[in-house]
Amino acid sequence: MFHLIRFAYLDAGTGSMVIQSVIGIAAGVALFGRKALMSVRARKHEKSPSIKKNA
Amino acid sequence: MNNDSLPSSYRDPAGFVFENAGVIYRQINTMAKKEFDMFMNSGLYEKLVDARLIIPHTEVKTLKNLKADANRYKIIQPEAIPFISYPYEWSFPQLRDAALLTLKIQKLALEHGMILKDASAYNVQFIGKSPVFIDTLSFAKYEEGQAWEGYRQFCEHFITPLAIARYSTEQALTMLQTYMEGVPLNLAVGLLPNKAKFKKGIYAHVYLHERSQRRHQGSGTRSASAPTRKVSKFALDGLMASLESCIKSLKAPSNQTEWGEYYEFTNYNDQAFKNKAALVDQFLGMLKQPPKMVWDIGANNGEFSELAAKRGAYTIAWDIDPKAVASNYQNKKKQPELMLPLVQDIAMPSPSIGWELTERMSLNDRGPADVVLALAVIHHLAIGRNVPLYKIAEMLHGIGKNIIIEFIPKEDSKVEHLLASRKDIFPGYTQEDFEKAMASYFTLDTKKQIKHSKRWMYLYSK
Repeated sequence: MFHLIRFAYLDAGTGSMVIQSVIGIAAGVALFGRKALMSVRARKHEKSPSIKKNA
Repeated sequence: MNNDSLPSSYRDPAGFVFENAGVIYRQINTMAKKEFDMFMNSGLYEKLVDARLIIPHTEVKTLKNLKADANRYKIIQPEAIPFISYPYEWSFPQLRDAALLTLKIQKLALEHGMILKDASAYNVQFIGKSPVFIDTLSFAKYEEGQAWEGYRQFCEHFITPLAIARYSTEQALTMLQTYMEGVPLNLAVGLLPNKAKFKKGIYAHVYLHERSQRRHQGSGTRSASAPTRKVSKFALDGLMASLESCIKSLKAPSNQTEWGEYYEFTNYNDQAFKNKAALVDQFLGMLKQPPKMVWDIGANNGEFSELAAKRGAYTIAWDIDPKAVASNYQNKKKQPELMLPLVQDIAMPSPSIGWELTERMSLNDRGPADVVLALAVIHHLAIGRNVPLYKIAEMLHGIGKNIIIEFIPKEDSKVEHLLASRKDIFPGYTQEDFEKAMASYFTLDTKKQIKHSKRWMYLYSK
């Protein structure tokens, strides 16, 4: 899991390079989870009026 | 690198900005050929220009008096920026919008297989009240797995100053003048209150980030073989989303300032206020040539700056109070294209700073303006800051060709208020002495008393 810095004209800082993968994965998982939750809620919301209609 | 480059353009070996016959150009060096061509041909440039996110440019085939340069690939001419401003002159929402613009561009760049190779706040300028990205050479090819090299710079140029201002006062943003390369993470950790750790993204992008830097200090990144952890596209997208949400969650502090609602507590009556506006407008109309550039020093929320902008002049609405500047900036109905609100303490104006003291221009270096509006300002300088009238006249001579200036006598309640808590050591603060001081530097064109007040309005020219 190592990657070479090739075009750096900025000193990005090793600590910054390392931590962004950790923060990124955590944020990505949270984002994915939130989107999944929203889509489940949206589906539920879509279903509920039709149930009422059928009733 | 070329000796003709502007003093602010020397860091990136991919190219530089230079001036030729008063016009600004950018040279693209051969080492950046691949990346520049990709930027232009991938559809990214077009998309950014269409959305008015980046400054458009035209390619220049020939240019007079151009020295031979083996490194030259192309020369482009970016559309002119009417006035160069710096992050330490921006109000809170301006720095915040500049951060969001950077992230928006990064997102679009990633969609086109590219990535921003830096995240400097100096890559952003304002045209009127809209931020625009100016660095055409900031784009590099993105390869799956690579980390974002601009991450620390983004945090130090945007997140740390905004977070410190959020938990103290917006005036804290002027620290960007001292920390031109961004407010260091360790300084932010020292300055931020503990409760900041619970603010969205701050714990991760400031505290954890700083700890990680400390932990890896000395491990080295300069060597071409320096290893770093791979960052998947999933993680990079997550990082961008987290940075965006962090910036969006940072709101300006709600503390009241002296000038934030100045016009709500003014001592003018309506008629005097209207007459003052009419005189300013009339004096602007009396100038031999319509002004192209107007500086309103002490503009507050831009009430009078608007008069100049309505006449087609690009108007810089300076004020010492970041809240008043923010309020002007956020009022997008008030001359959004021709008025640029900026923070400036005219008694301690922006100096020349950076490398060899030339990298960032001083206030005077960016002048002189065709007209300076100094309305209800000089009593603050003369009495509030102890600046003698002749020094004020000298300063105005350095920044403006024509001056529209309001004199407020000691009998005015605003001056009485300034003198209420201190001894009156200003026997020279009289209308007569004011006129004498101005006469040393300018020709008086006209003067009129503002009706229903004891104040006077003057028009001077060089």
